[in-house]
Amino acid sequence: MDHKVVDHLFRHHYGKMVAILTRFFGLSYIETIEDAVQDTFIKATSQWRTKIPDNPEAWLNRVAKNRTIDILRSIQSDKNRNLTITTGASSLQIDELFLDHEVADSQLRMIFVACHPSLHPNEQIAFALKTISGFSTKEIAAALLTKEETIVKRLTRAKKTIKEKNIQFQYPNPEAIQERILRVMEVIYLTFNEGFHSTNQDILIKEDLCGEAIRLCQLLLKKEQFRSGTLYALFALLCFHMSRLESKITVDNQIINLKDQDRTKWYFPLIKMGNSAMNKALEYDDTSVYHYEASIASEHLSAKTFEATNWSKISYWYDQLYAFQPNTFTLLNHATVCLQLNDLEKTNQLLKSIAVSELGQRAYLYYGCYAEYYIKKGEKSLAISFLDKALAGTTNTLEKVYLKEKREGLR
Amino acid sequence: MKDFMMIFIGADYQELGLSPEQLQERMGKWFAWNEKMQKQGIVKAGDALVPHVKRVSGPNRTVTDAPLIEGKELIGGYYIVKAENADAVVKIAQDYPDYDLNGTVEIREVMVFDQQ
Repeated sequence: MDHKVVDHLFRHHYGKMVAILTRFFGLSYIETIEDAVQDTFIKATSQWRTKIPDNPEAWLNRVAKNRTIDILRSIQSDKNRNLTITTGASSLQIDELFLDHEVADSQLRMIFVACHPSLHPNEQIAFALKTISGFSTKEIAAALLTKEETIVKRLTRAKKTIKEKNIQFQYPNPEAIQERILRVMEVIYLTFNEGFHSTNQDILIKEDLCGEAIRLCQLLLKKEQFRSGTLYALFALLCFHMSRLESKITVDNQIINLKDQDRTKWYFPLIKMGNSAMNKALEYDDTSVYHYEASIASEHLSAKTFEATNWSKISYWYDQLYAFQPNTFTLLNHATVCLQLNDLEKTNQLLKSIAVSELGQRAYLYYGCYAEYYIKKGEKSLAISFLDKALAGTTNTLEKVYLKEKREGLR
Repeated sequence: MKDFMMIFIGADYQELGLSPEQLQERMGKWFAWNEKMQKQGIVKAGDALVPHVKRVSGPNRTVTDAPLIEGKELIGGYYIVKAENADAVVKIAQDYPDYDLNGTVEIREVMVFDQQ
């Protein structure tokens, strides 16, 4: 008999159960529901020590449901009111809500609630990670490189807003839904980037965040009404990036440059999945930044070696991307591509148009790019001064070694 | 062979606010430990305890609900295992999953009364 419980069952099931129970009882009970679901897992950890139930998910569902009803009963009797637990989906029996398609539906509703415009953007991510992805506040803090108390505050504020604005556990109105979906995708994209680009030392956290973003994307793709070129392109982009996650990090958790990555470590099935999503995306009329970013990522992935990269094609996509939506990081990335093409004039032109202050922690990449530019121009002293600026701006050991070696070579 | 009780003290999951992912990881470790002991055929009994405490004490048999017991003092469960001696049980207890949460295993020999 196979006793192993599916990986991440608890985490994923947390989101499912919270969504189902919220659909039944209503968003105003979300805190009670979260507590009840948490209790359920604690109970499982004790009871499953000796025997794991034949159907773990059904066990969890049953216990969470009963626990929620118990808690609500005691709240109601404390208030000395008559109990009417028929808020929320009155037309549906609670057991029906545990059917697969209804579960997906409830989770999607939760995603839309998380991305409600009344919530502040960084509350949206925290709320989504908590209620949909089952992260603890500590895990969210670790994932977002923030203090736990900050996350607690964000979650409290989000829940308060939900109550005050009386936000319902429903899809947005038809006229608002397109805009909301765009925001949902943005939140998914940001969640992924937190994992992918983060300086976080913990590889598991990176994988979890990226994995969650992909899972949410898949959830949206399940519903035909939410499918679009933009959604498929986003999914393709995430798959392309994810395929490189392992090769991007050394055993001691340092980020490796694209140039130095072991390309045999790229995960081919994900690239394939990305490609077919991209083909799907092209069947629709809409275009998005994700289309361009996915095209760029795909171009990198199709090069057998760094040297074999089709830089001019990538440069073309960066032009397109910037024309579609101007962004400082696009300019910087494009500048590094122009360096590869030895198009120094365009490199300089692009770098000049960048406001360094907008780059935040990644400003060192800008200085590094300028240094490279001056090396190519043969102006050593300028190159050295930019390398020094770059060195001062990064804490990444590998980057530092790389920049120092560069600097030594110029002496 | 004698009987020994391993009493697990502290590491109250509820109080520690573990995430679902962490709870699943803990559960897996407990399960693996139990399975290992079952295979060795040394388990006589074992249970996890609900963290609600009711106490009866004193000549007046005073009943108190004791929710104020600190998590680190709370008994979370026990196993009764067969072993040669206490040192052997110390070895068995190496696999207890919650040392990193400041949990403790107390090992006590079960007293045997003379049958004469």
